[in-house]
Amino acid sequence: MPAADTAAPATGSPARPAGPSPGLLPPRWRRVAPWLLLIAGVLAGFGLQTQLYTGQERTASTILMFVSLAVAWNLIGGYAGYACFGQVGFFGLGGYSTAVLMTHVHLSFWLALPASALLVGAFAALIGAPLLRLRGHYFAVAMLGVAEGLREVVTNVPGLTGGGAGITVPTVDAGAPTRWLGNDGFYILFLVLAGILVGVGLLVSTSRAGYALRAINQDEDAAAAMGINTTVVKTMTLAVSAALTGAVGAAYAFQQVTIYPERLFDVDITVLMVVMVVLGGAGTVIGPVIGAVAVAFASEWLRQNYPMVHTFLLGGLIIAAVILLPQGFTTYVHDAVRTRRFSPLANLRRYRL
Amino acid sequence: MARDGVMSQFLQATLYGLLQGGVFALVAVGFSLVWGVMNVVNLAHGAFVVAGAYVAFELHSWIGIDPFLAVPVVAAVLFAIGYLVQRYLVNLVINAPVFITLLLTFGLQLVIVNGMIMLFTANYRSIPTAYATTSLALPGDVRLPVGRLMAALLAVGLTLALGYLMRHTRVGLAILATGMDRGAARLMGIKAAHVYALTFGLAVAMAGVAGAAVGAIGTFSPADAGRFTVFSFVAAVLGGLGTMSGALYGGLLLGLAEAWGGQLLPGTLVNAVAFAVLVVVLAVRPQGLAGRSFYAARVEV
Amino acid sequence: MTAPVLQARGLSRRFGGLHATHAVDLDLYSGQILGVIGPNGAGKSTLINLLTGHLRPHAGTVLLDGRDVTGARPWHIAQAGVARTFQIVKPFRGMTVADNVVVAGLYGARSPGAPESGTLHLGALRLGAGRRGLAAVRRDALETLERVGLAGKAHLAPAELSVADARRLELAKALGLRPRVLLLDEVLAGLRPGEISPALELIDSLRRDGLALLMVEHVMSAISAVCDRVLVLHQGEVLTTGEPAAVLSDERVIAVYLGTRFAKRSSTAESEGEPT
Repeated sequence: MPAADTAAPATGSPARPAGPSPGLLPPRWRRVAPWLLLIAGVLAGFGLQTQLYTGQERTASTILMFVSLAVAWNLIGGYAGYACFGQVGFFGLGGYSTAVLMTHVHLSFWLALPASALLVGAFAALIGAPLLRLRGHYFAVAMLGVAEGLREVVTNVPGLTGGGAGITVPTVDAGAPTRWLGNDGFYILFLVLAGILVGVGLLVSTSRAGYALRAINQDEDAAAAMGINTTVVKTMTLAVSAALTGAVGAAYAFQQVTIYPERLFDVDITVLMVVMVVLGGAGTVIGPVIGAVAVAFASEWLRQNYPMVHTFLLGGLIIAAVILLPQGFTTYVHDAVRTRRFSPLANLRRYRL
Repeated sequence: MARDGVMSQFLQATLYGLLQGGVFALVAVGFSLVWGVMNVVNLAHGAFVVAGAYVAFELHSWIGIDPFLAVPVVAAVLFAIGYLVQRYLVNLVINAPVFITLLLTFGLQLVIVNGMIMLFTANYRSIPTAYATTSLALPGDVRLPVGRLMAALLAVGLTLALGYLMRHTRVGLAILATGMDRGAARLMGIKAAHVYALTFGLAVAMAGVAGAAVGAIGTFSPADAGRFTVFSFVAAVLGGLGTMSGALYGGLLLGLAEAWGGQLLPGTLVNAVAFAVLVVVLAVRPQGLAGRSFYAARVEV
Repeated sequence: MTAPVLQARGLSRRFGGLHATHAVDLDLYSGQILGVIGPNGAGKSTLINLLTGHLRPHAGTVLLDGRDVTGARPWHIAQAGVARTFQIVKPFRGMTVADNVVVAGLYGARSPGAPESGTLHLGALRLGAGRRGLAAVRRDALETLERVGLAGKAHLAPAELSVADARRLELAKALGLRPRVLLLDEVLAGLRPGEISPALELIDSLRRDGLALLMVEHVMSAISAVCDRVLVLHQGEVLTTGEPAAVLSDERVIAVYLGTRFAKRSSTAESEGEPT
C-alpha cells in the first residue's frame, strides 16, 4: 500500500469471500453443474453458427477469441493477482511463430499451433523467473516492456518475419501446408478454444491450484509460510496463461493470413483483455466470459456505428466502468444479492480517497 | 579524415542525446512524482505532453507568441486540467488494486489522444520559431541548435526547481509527507485529496511545458503520446522513483542511449534495446540508479 | 536430554549498518516452550523470520533435526514441519475462515491432501484423488478450528472476526500444517486479561502434544506461567537464558527491559502471594 491509511483491503476482494462454497464440500450436483453448463454453452455455440450470416459470424469469432484471451489473462491477473500488462506479447509471439513455421518450414497448422503454444509457454517461464519477483506496478510495467520489446525485435528481423511489411501465411495452392479453414471453420476453432480455456479456468478454480493462486494473491508471505512454493506456482501459472494465449494468437494469425507487428503486438489488445476481466469479475470463472462478451460486443457496436469517435467513446466507457464497477459484474452481483445493497455507488465509497 | 568524421558524429550524437535527455527528464519528473507519491502509474502522461504542445501551438496561431514565452500559460492550463482530473477522477479509485488505476489512466489516454485527433487532426505539426534554423558552431565540427539548447536549459532548470520546491517549501513537504504516510499526514491536518490533486497538477504542468518545448524544436502529433509515456517509464525506472534527481539521471541516460543507439543500431532496434534495458533494470535493481529501495519494496497491490 | 528439534547457532543478520540479530544461539525441544523477550527492536521478529526462511542470515546456521536448513525457502521449512504466526495477522481476506486453514492442509507436508513437493503444481490438477483429499482436508480444517475455539465461525470472512478470534485463526492456520515446531510472534498482544488465560491453556495443550514451541511475548505473566526456559534479546544479541524466575529477576534484564517498578511489583506480589 502506498500509505498507511487504508479504509478497505487493497486486494479488492469484498468483505465476504466470493470463492468456492464455505464449509463442507458442495453437494455433487454443484460440482458437476458448471461443467454441464460449459458443455451446454459450447453446444449452443455450434447451434448459433447456423443462425448467423457471414459478417455476424466473423464478429462472433472475434468475441470468442476475446473470451479465450480474457480467461487466459484471468489465470495470472485475476487468480494470482499479478497484473500482466504484456499479455499481447504472448499473443503476438504465438501468432508469429505459427506464421513463420507455416511459411518457412511448411509445417501444418495443426502442428504449428501446439508448437507455438509450447514455445510461448517456455518463453514465459524463462522471463517469468526473474520478473515474477516484482510486484504491483513494477511487474505490470516490466511485462509491458517485454511485449514492446518483442514487437520491436519482430519488426527488425524482416528476413524471418517480414518486418514492418508483414508476413503472409500461404493458404491456397500447393505451397499451403494447411488449407484456410474458412469463416465457418475458424468460428468452430475459436469456439473450441474458448471451450477449452473456460474448462481450464474451471479446473484451476476448483482444484488445489486455485487455493494456491488465491492464497498468493491475497497474502503471498502467508502463502509461502504455509508451504506453497510461490515461485513455482507463479511461474507455471504465467507459463500456462502465456501458452494458451499464444495458441489463440496462432489461430488468429492463420485466420488473418497476413499479419503485421503493430496488430499482433497492439497494446490495446492487452488493455481490452484486462478491461474485460476486471469488468466481468477477476478471479471468477464466468466473469471473464461475461466481460469479454459485453466489452467485445460494445466495441464492435461502437466501431460500426460511430466509426469516427469509437475509440474516444471506448475510452470514456472504460473510465466510467472502472469507477463504477471495479470489482467486476460477477462479484458485484454476488455481493449485492448477499447484502441487499444494489447501488453501484457503494463502490465509490470503497476505493475513493 | 574519416576518423574525425566519426568522432564529430559521435560528439554530435552525444550533444543531441544530452539535449534531448534534458527534455526527457522534464517529461519523466512529473511521471515519477505521481508514481512515487500516489502510487499511480499515469498511462496518459504522454498525452498531456502532446496536449501542452498543442496549447503552445494554438497560442502561437492566435497571438504569435513564442512557445518558450508561452510556457507560463501552458503550465497554468495544464496544471488546472491535471488538478481537476486527479481531484474528481483519479481520487475515486486511488485505493483500488493496481490494474484499476492503470485502466483508468489508459481510458483517459484514449479519451485525450482521440479528443486531440478530433480537434486538431492527426497531422504532424510544429511551431515555427525565429531561431528554428540557428545553431551555434562548436569545436569538433559540432553544431548546437539554439532551440534545442533553450529547451534543454528550460527542462533541466524546471526539474531542479521542482526538486528544490519539494524540499524547501511547505507545499513540497506536504506532498512528500503525504507520499510517505497518508494517514499520518492527514492526522497533521494535511488535506490529502488536495495534496494529491496538487501533485498531479504539477506533474501534468511539467509534462505540458515539456510538450511546448518539443513543439518548438520538432514535430508532434497525437500519435506521439504513447512514445512519451514509454520514455517516462524508462527514464523514471532507470533513474529511480521518489527522487527528482532520479528523473534527471534517467532522462539524460535515456537521451544518450537513444542518440548513440540510433548511430549504432539499424532501424528501430534502439527501441528494443530501451525496452530490454527497462526489463533488466526492473529485474536486477528495481530502485534504479538513484532511487531508494524503500520504494521498490513498498510498491504492491 | 533428547536432541533439540530446532537449533540455531550464531545466527546473524544485518540491515545496512544495523545488526538486527548477532550471533544468536537457541535450542527448541519437543514438549517445551522457549520464551523470547526483549525490548522493541531487539530483533525478535527478525529471529523468527530467520528461522523460517523469510530472511536469509548473513552468518550462522539453522538445524532442523540435525539437518541444515539455513537459507531454505519458507515453503520448504513449512513443509518440514515448522509453522509460525505473524505478529500482524495475515489471513487470506477473500477466503472463509475454514478455507484459510484448508490451504495449510493442502500444502503442508504432513497432511493427507498434500503430495511430495516436486509434484506440487501438476498434482493440483488431478481431479479424482484431489477431490477425496480435499474432503479429508476440509474435515481436518474444521477439527483444527474446533481446537482453537473457532468452530462456529468457519463460514465467516476474516474481516468479521474480533481481535482475539483473528489471533485464533492465525494460530489455526499454523496448526493446519501439522507442525512439530511452532513459532508464536506476540500472539497475546492486544488481548483482554480474560482472553489470555484460555489462550495460554491452548498453548500449554500444544506443548503437552509434543510440539516444540517458541513464544515471543511482552506479557510477562504469560512467560512465567507457561515457559520452560526464557531467552532475552537485547540489541540483537542474547543477553541471557534460563528459567523464567531466574531470568525475570536478573538485574541486567531488569535494567534493559523490565524496569525496576516491575521488579519491585513482582517481588512484592510474590511475598504477598499474588499473581503479577
